[in-house]
Amino acid sequence: MSAFVEMKQISKVYPNGVVANKHVDFAVEKGEIHALVGENGAGKSTLMKILYGLEQPTHGEIWLRGQRVEIANPHRAIDLGIGMVHQNFMLVPSFTIAENIVLGSEPRKGRFLDRAQAIAITETLSKSYGLQVDPAARIESTPVGMRQRVEILKTLYRGADLLILDEPTAVLTPQETDELFLAVRKLVDQGKTVIFITHKLVEVKEISDRVTVMRHGEVTGRVATADVSEADIARMMVGRAVFLQIDKPPVRRGRVVAEVRNLGYVAETGRPMVRNVSFDVYAGEILGVAGVEGNGQTELVEVMTGLRPATTGEIRIDGKPVQGQSARRIRLSGVAHIPEDRLTNGVALDASIAENLAVDRYNRPPFTRQGILSPRAIQTQAVALMQQFDIRAAGSAAPMRSLSGGNMQKVIVAREFSAEPALLIAAQPTRGVDIGATEFVHTQLVAKRNEGKAVLLVSADLAEVMSLADRIAVMYKGEIVGILENGPHLTEEEIGLYMLGLKRDEGARGEGRGARGEGRRELSRPSRKFQPSRKIMQRRSQHR
Amino acid sequence: MTQNKTLIEAIRIVVVVLIALAIGFVITALVSKEPVAAYTALLTGPLPKISFENGFAITNINRFGNWMEESTTLILLGLAVAIVFKARQFSLGAEGQMLLGALATAVIALKLALPFPWHMILALAAAMAIGFLWGLLPGLLKAYLAVDEIVSTLMFNVIALQLFDLLLFNWLRDPTAGFVGTVPFPDSAVLPLAISGTRVSWMIFIMLAAVVIVWFLMERTPFGFELKMLGANRKFAEYGGINTKRVIALSMAVSGILAGLAGAHLSMGLLKRLTINLSPGLGFEGIVVALLARNDPRWVLVAGLFYGYLRTGAQIMERSSDVTREVVLIIQAIIILLITAEQLFPRFQQWWGARRNNEAAMERG
Ligand SMILES: Nc1ncnc2c1ncn2[C@@H]1O[C@H](COP(=O)(O)OP(=O)(O)O)[C@@H](O)[C@H]1O
Ligand SMILES: [Mg+2]
Repeated sequence: MSAFVEMKQISKVYPNGVVANKHVDFAVEKGEIHALVGENGAGKSTLMKILYGLEQPTHGEIWLRGQRVEIANPHRAIDLGIGMVHQNFMLVPSFTIAENIVLGSEPRKGRFLDRAQAIAITETLSKSYGLQVDPAARIESTPVGMRQRVEILKTLYRGADLLILDEPTAVLTPQETDELFLAVRKLVDQGKTVIFITHKLVEVKEISDRVTVMRHGEVTGRVATADVSEADIARMMVGRAVFLQIDKPPVRRGRVVAEVRNLGYVAETGRPMVRNVSFDVYAGEILGVAGVEGNGQTELVEVMTGLRPATTGEIRIDGKPVQGQSARRIRLSGVAHIPEDRLTNGVALDASIAENLAVDRYNRPPFTRQGILSPRAIQTQAVALMQQFDIRAAGSAAPMRSLSGGNMQKVIVAREFSAEPALLIAAQPTRGVDIGATEFVHTQLVAKRNEGKAVLLVSADLAEVMSLADRIAVMYKGEIVGILENGPHLTEEEIGLYMLGLKRDEGARGEGRGARGEGRRELSRPSRKFQPSRKIMQRRSQHR
Repeated sequence: MTQNKTLIEAIRIVVVVLIALAIGFVITALVSKEPVAAYTALLTGPLPKISFENGFAITNINRFGNWMEESTTLILLGLAVAIVFKARQFSLGAEGQMLLGALATAVIALKLALPFPWHMILALAAAMAIGFLWGLLPGLLKAYLAVDEIVSTLMFNVIALQLFDLLLFNWLRDPTAGFVGTVPFPDSAVLPLAISGTRVSWMIFIMLAAVVIVWFLMERTPFGFELKMLGANRKFAEYGGINTKRVIALSMAVSGILAGLAGAHLSMGLLKRLTINLSPGLGFEGIVVALLARNDPRWVLVAGLFYGYLRTGAQIMERSSDVTREVVLIIQAIIILLITAEQLFPRFQQWWGARRNNEAAMERG
């Protein structure tokens, strides 16, 4: 039997000279869930854009149902029964869900859109595929998970037999991911075929029948999922053995390094972003902060590092109060910070690597002596750090702009780690970096912990928090709703309940469970009424 | 690798200058009866003539002097602009700072009696101080109240011009002169000559020292590092612990010092008095110089000499040929336009690189 879709010898060279696909052979059988995996920049999206008619291959052929086809544009792809849900959604925010679904081939009444009909269509589709949406809600007020379901329904409405999902789980909570997986299985049961792009190996194992692995624009593996382990897939992605599991000796908690008490931050808009947050970070431990993004984590970190002023509350580092001090003073008190958005404030793209590595220390010896700056000292440090942290670049004078995401992150890690902090705050430290660099950052974070530093790890990637942290604080709507001891007993689902605001610990407001007996008596607070989950999810999206 | 880059950059500039000059010549040919003579005036006018007919003699030294005088002012202004642009602060205040600098020298020169060199030094110091202040004020507004520096510096220019006219008309003016201006400055407050037969004064040495100092400030001091980081990414600088508000205010103030000096050059070096309409728009020419030099003080020296040459040549062409001032200015503008068109050459390189890359990729395939 010939494959449902077959892409033969596909090459793609972008106008800027980037070779995104090199002689890629890719085949999908009818009715399967096919995972397409690879690190960022491996060329997955490009290959799928070619299949969807958004890009034209420089070379190669596409065969569909045993026939050679030319896919000049997405219209043609839709006619052929191919649908794609992009990494970035492409919905009209001010339209309702029903309107978005029928957009492009609307049911009409006279010259106008037949709203009732659109809603009926949406409801039927929604039911038959088990993708629950609220047809009359506007896109702008719906949470990400629902938007994604809308995108999928939209492609189904247009008659797709083959669905391409480009990194669909990147924006979802664990619960939403589970729901998506259920829906995908249902689609396949009804005879659809699904291509599922991801770089999370757990998901590959969980959802797919077969997997194609890409690296640097080439296919490096094509296997039945059941035949391989996660480590095998990782090796194909990275080109060498990768240690997915980090060995962590048991925690040896030392003194309290950071004390945060009743911290509050109200944004310029008047919206409270951090609410009455209290916790301690101990030497020798990693305290993870989990939570759906936009629940105050960013603000918490920026307040703690002096980039924003706290509205209320106290922060002490090694016993000394630091709230209200400048970023420099806080750094000098022993706080280092890997920022969540490295392009905004973690690097200066137009400055050299060496300058980027010195931004927090240029004004003291050996870089400045008697008021005179030594570019040589800055360069010497850069050469040493680049070697130590394995930063691949043309040289220490090369502009930051010329580095890959992973290497940029290594520059940041090199700078912050070499500052020898007492407290290291790492916000989304592996976002957008490849497996190799992720592994590196993880090992380094654990090494700092083992050295007896305090680490505060803020991450939207729950798997990351769970594999690294000793304790996990969950943030929801600016509050810490639980501080949980990490261990085999703790499940993703459990944390997910806290992340969605469905569960909260009364003791969570102060220094809580697990933090040795010395935890202060926390103020407890009347519990909130339980709210239906839909509403919570909507609120959450408004909260962003 | 970097050396290779500098070479490519140098080639780029030479090619662009040649293209620009060729276009300039075409325009000249369109409007002039004797295009070659006119264009020669533009291209060689500022050079002194060396003749061997009656033994060795140098004539037209004054034209060379014009070039140096013009360039000295332009380089000081170029340095002023380079400092703020390096920090990515779009201050346009050089014009006002220059006017007030000149005004301050006149007040010291005419209202105080002091011996040389103290009189001269005090006048220079006054020009630098007022320039500093006139940069600091919009700098503070930007840093602490987020007042856009483009708007505020233009407004400060207006205030400076009115102050200048006010004091000149009502207080400093020499009523017996046939024009609006002061009496000549006393010798004690005039910059001594450096080249006789010209108006090239000690300011040329001050200017050279300024180039070195500004370079040192940018490349060898923590302040220079802060300036660069602020210019590269303000949020990053803040994250790194730099007090960006202080750097913003200071960058504009330090820039003002140099613009103030440029003003002192006009009054104490060239005119030796203060007159109305001192040199309208000159303050903005510093932007051209800084752009040409990509804010590198060493290149400001080169760019200032080049631009000064061009401006002097243009004046000579205007005087000695049938090409009108307007056309001369157009030619001058086109040359600058082409040189500052940063993307002209990179685009070409990109296109070329992509083509080769494609071919290579396809060949491997
Ligand atoms: N429109 C484009 N123009 C030029 N280069 C691109 C374009 N889109 C992607 N690339 C480059 O092609 C490579 C593959 O990108 P992509 O297909 O998005 O990878 P993936 O989806 O696997 O992360 C990357 O190096 C990327 O920078
Ligand atoms: Mg992609």
